[in-house]
Amino acid sequence: MSNVALRVDDLKKTFDPGLMKAKVEVLKGLSFEVQRGIIFGFLGPNGAGKTTTIKAIAGLIWPDAGSIEICGLPHTDEAAKRRIGFMAENPYFYPYLTGREFLEFHAELLALASDVVSSRVSQALEKVSMSDHADRLMRTYSKGMLQRMSLAQALLGEPELLILDEPMSGLDPLGRRDVRDIILGEKERGTTVFFSSHIIPDVETICDRVAIVADGRVQAVGEVRDLVAQEVEAYEVAFVGTAPSTLNTPVLAGHTGSDASWVRVAAGHRDQLIRELVDDGVRIVGLSPVRSSLEEFLMVHYQGGAS
Amino acid sequence: MRAMLAIARNTLREALRDRVLYLFLGFAVLMLVSSKIFGLLTVGDEGKVIKDLGLAGVQFFSMLIAVMMSVLLVSREVDGRTVYNILAKPVRRWQFLLGKYLGLLATVALNLTLMALVLVTMVRLYSGEWDMGLLFASAMILLEMALVTAFATLFAVLTRPMLGTVFTLAVYIIGHVAENIWLLTQQITVGVTKPIVAAIYYLLPNLERFNFKTEVVHDLSIPHAEIGVTVVYGLAYTALVLVLACVRFSHKDLT
Repeated sequence: MSNVALRVDDLKKTFDPGLMKAKVEVLKGLSFEVQRGIIFGFLGPNGAGKTTTIKAIAGLIWPDAGSIEICGLPHTDEAAKRRIGFMAENPYFYPYLTGREFLEFHAELLALASDVVSSRVSQALEKVSMSDHADRLMRTYSKGMLQRMSLAQALLGEPELLILDEPMSGLDPLGRRDVRDIILGEKERGTTVFFSSHIIPDVETICDRVAIVADGRVQAVGEVRDLVAQEVEAYEVAFVGTAPSTLNTPVLAGHTGSDASWVRVAAGHRDQLIRELVDDGVRIVGLSPVRSSLEEFLMVHYQGGAS
Repeated sequence: MRAMLAIARNTLREALRDRVLYLFLGFAVLMLVSSKIFGLLTVGDEGKVIKDLGLAGVQFFSMLIAVMMSVLLVSREVDGRTVYNILAKPVRRWQFLLGKYLGLLATVALNLTLMALVLVTMVRLYSGEWDMGLLFASAMILLEMALVTAFATLFAVLTRPMLGTVFTLAVYIIGHVAENIWLLTQQITVGVTKPIVAAIYYLLPNLERFNFKTEVVHDLSIPHAEIGVTVVYGLAYTALVLVLACVRFSHKDLT
């Protein structure tokens, strides 16, 4: 069995808005892989190509070039579609159905055996904490409840790969926490989760790996920790006693305490500072990199992608 | 197949919960009121007047449902993006579209059946006869509506809801004057106009083929061959339009 749950290779897509309007090249050779059993975050600014990529994976739009594989199968295969659970951005729903009818309808689309439909629907309702509201018409649901129902229909088929487009968008902190817990719970069960988001703290706290997309291409991909570590901007050097009164090394910031002090210098001045402190006989007790936050890291790539 | 039937059932449920059957109630009230009025105004032939008026009403109300609901319900799924969660599942696009079509046709058929039963009952009350010919004429109207609904489905995937409704109405109206287009081809004798007009005649459906009102109202005999040709024509034309709709929808980007 392939260890890759999702492989997107050199995906290209140009939209033609019609007569007298310029074509819009949205995807310009986008590639990435998602290993099985991880939570993979897909980050990018508006217009970067995130939703277009997700729609291509879900079979809603047809790429001009490139390939998409789900668990080693072409993404348009019925067998591949059986392995995914998809939740579109923003909750779209049928106002005339109750929550339970909505899930029963989706269970039929998945061709679940009739004797398991009822139990699967109950399980999905339980997972998203909607059992108590299942028999109400969906037109009476709040946005958070609709988001949960949308997530429930994605979970119905017990998918190997869960594809979620902005699952936390528009939710209050409590709702975001609940969705985060559901995603983490699915990972525990061995499900691979691929989701797009622009809420950076959510991505930082739950993603194993992240791809940053801008201008129709993946600009960076890796573990959140590694991506941030690549971008060390400064170092803080801690030492005993007070800082020498005259330091030749340019200092960005510093603090002198009663027993120990620290100074911060740009990454390029790290060695110069250490040499200077050692030459002055200062006892260095710590050296720590100052990493950019994921947000700062993203901004660098977003701007790089746009230029 | 199961997915297609699930979509059809859901479409029918949507139409019913949207209170489409109110149209049937409107028809029933119209029939009751008009039969009273015409009963007072006409001498001797109330039954024929009721049959004629009733079948025209069945056709008009069925056309209203077919045109309005078809374009609306298909484009509501696409514009409302509920189709996203459906097509990301193991459901082929043609299954989705045919499911919608079958659901819409079931809605039209349910309304039409109820209206036909009201009509048969009214005729029984006024003339004392159970006229089963009315059910035959209604079945032919259903066949016509199957074709009109297929056109509505095609236009729903080709264009915006408002334009789709206009185009379907245009097909309905032109379809009922198709024989005039044929007469026009007989009048033109020279130039390229004749083949162009003839092509238009052959391309557009001839909906008057499904009109057996006169025969049923006046108890005229209808050759079996004519019925057979009409049924084959209706089914073949409907299938062709649905294939076109499915092909177009299969290649469409759902943005």
